[in-house]
Amino acid sequence: MAVEATSCTATVFLPAAGSALTLSNLRDNRQIALTFSRGIDHRSLQVKGQLIEISETTEAQRLLQDRYFTRFSEGLIFIGHQEKLLRRIRYFPSYALRFQLESMFDQTPGPGAGRIAGVSS
Amino acid sequence: MIRLADLQRCFAGVLPSIISTCSASGVPNVTYLSQIFRVDERRIALSCQFFNKTKQNVAENPFASVQVIDPVTLQTYDLDLRFDHSQTSGPLFDKMATRIQAIASHTGMLGVFKLLSADVYEVLAIRELEGSLGPAPADQDQDQHQDSEPAPLSLRSELRALSAVTERLRGATDLDGLLSTLLDALREELSFEHAMLLLPDETGKRLVSLASRGYGESGIGAEVRIGDGLIGTVAQTEHTIRLTNVAASLNYGRAIGRTAQDHGAHAPGAEIPLPGLPDAQSQMAIPLLAHGRLAGVLAVESKNPLGFEEWHETFLDVIGHQLAIAIENMMLRAEAEEAQAITRSAFPPKPTKAARVLRFCFYRNDDCVFVDDEYLIRNLPGRILWKILRSFVDGARAEFSNRELRLDPSLGLPPIKDNLESRLILLRKRLEQKCPELRLVPKCRGQFRLETSCTLELVEKDSG
Repeated sequence: MAVEATSCTATVFLPAAGSALTLSNLRDNRQIALTFSRGIDHRSLQVKGQLIEISETTEAQRLLQDRYFTRFSEGLIFIGHQEKLLRRIRYFPSYALRFQLESMFDQTPGPGAGRIAGVSS
Repeated sequence: MIRLADLQRCFAGVLPSIISTCSASGVPNVTYLSQIFRVDERRIALSCQFFNKTKQNVAENPFASVQVIDPVTLQTYDLDLRFDHSQTSGPLFDKMATRIQAIASHTGMLGVFKLLSADVYEVLAIRELEGSLGPAPADQDQDQHQDSEPAPLSLRSELRALSAVTERLRGATDLDGLLSTLLDALREELSFEHAMLLLPDETGKRLVSLASRGYGESGIGAEVRIGDGLIGTVAQTEHTIRLTNVAASLNYGRAIGRTAQDHGAHAPGAEIPLPGLPDAQSQMAIPLLAHGRLAGVLAVESKNPLGFEEWHETFLDVIGHQLAIAIENMMLRAEAEEAQAITRSAFPPKPTKAARVLRFCFYRNDDCVFVDDEYLIRNLPGRILWKILRSFVDGARAEFSNRELRLDPSLGLPPIKDNLESRLILLRKRLEQKCPELRLVPKCRGQFRLETSCTLELVEKDSG
């Protein structure tokens, strides 16, 4: 996910494979929720917002995805997942979903899960 | 058509699953799940440990979507669900709660996180996410080929293994032989390389390992408090636990521990070391129950995160039931035969002048026995050893009966179900490992002889 701090918008990349239902839902009510988790300690965040636009991913964005996927894979390999398996994951072609960030929640497992961690002004 | 049974690996907890719900006003919510349990061919149960947005949303709008990933292939599946009901008691709830309790206990978080409800959902549809993966690695093709073996052949193999293990158990003539036979059979028939059998001690508050395979000497005499960790939780709840991807499960417990502390909970207690392999990736423990009483726990471990499947659990449940009955019968028979046994007070042979000296020290505070400054044994087996050694040295007796031990009030055996037989096995094995110059040799049923060519020196002290 790429965040533009000044406008409080973010772009997330959705692999085209198997995306039809998600895209249909987004076009229907434009509300989006995303959860991110760090495998090593389960630190997790959920962000919610309103969809601004859906577009096909550009080559420049693809480079961003490659960098992100490399770091994502390194984290998974560190906790014991096999590199040869991770290389199977296809994240391109994909769609870029740009959305307005509205709220953020701590989603780390435990009694505080669901606590508001940030709200867009 | 994809069946729920086909997704068993996805539910093993190796890769986390994700649930998406939506409020009545259309606000989506996405979060990770800790546990999915297949209830039957059309329903799954999800664990609920904290009241959360998911719970609120399904109360308003019962439709949900769960995404699961096969840890062997990374293939993703989407499950369309409809919330059915929540269970807060009963066999399904107990099974899911026991697993969470074991993780909580191990990570020192007992009571901080626990199962609030098992939420049962009807599965409306299962979809494979097509096109999300590139070609499989060559060795994985092989694995998948093996997985696609016809089920009837596999089932026949499992039944043959069950029959072979049962047949071997039938041949055992005493408790020690029974336990050893089982572990050998499990290794040879099922390739369970790391296994241990633990029986309750005389207090009923601890389990002690009496037989093990794959742990070297450290396997015998290992103790676990009932209620502690995986094995202790199985003993307390009397429910089987199968943990896959142990490292991730424990990490999950630790994550909860940290956030619980942020929210005012006490700091987590000390973690309980996993008995056995330091790098175990899957574990399974089965309570051995006979006539409503816990006869012991059978625990197996593997370095493979998916080392134990659902059928292993069923298989060991069947074996465990037979084993528990056999343990009870062996102990009852031993007691009955001891009652008729006559003890001869044979005299020990005089040690030669050049004989090696073994120095035993008994610490009265904790009933602990050391030999040549090295820990040997404690508690009831320690008291028994000390009584035998005293009689041997002071009274010059070499033969003893189980019956006289049972009748000796100074040993403090409980009046019923004293597990004496298992205590003597532990004592015998600890001597074999730590002091082979001293042997407890079975004579006939309920009698044994102390043999040694060494000179024994005995000292009693108050503190260890």
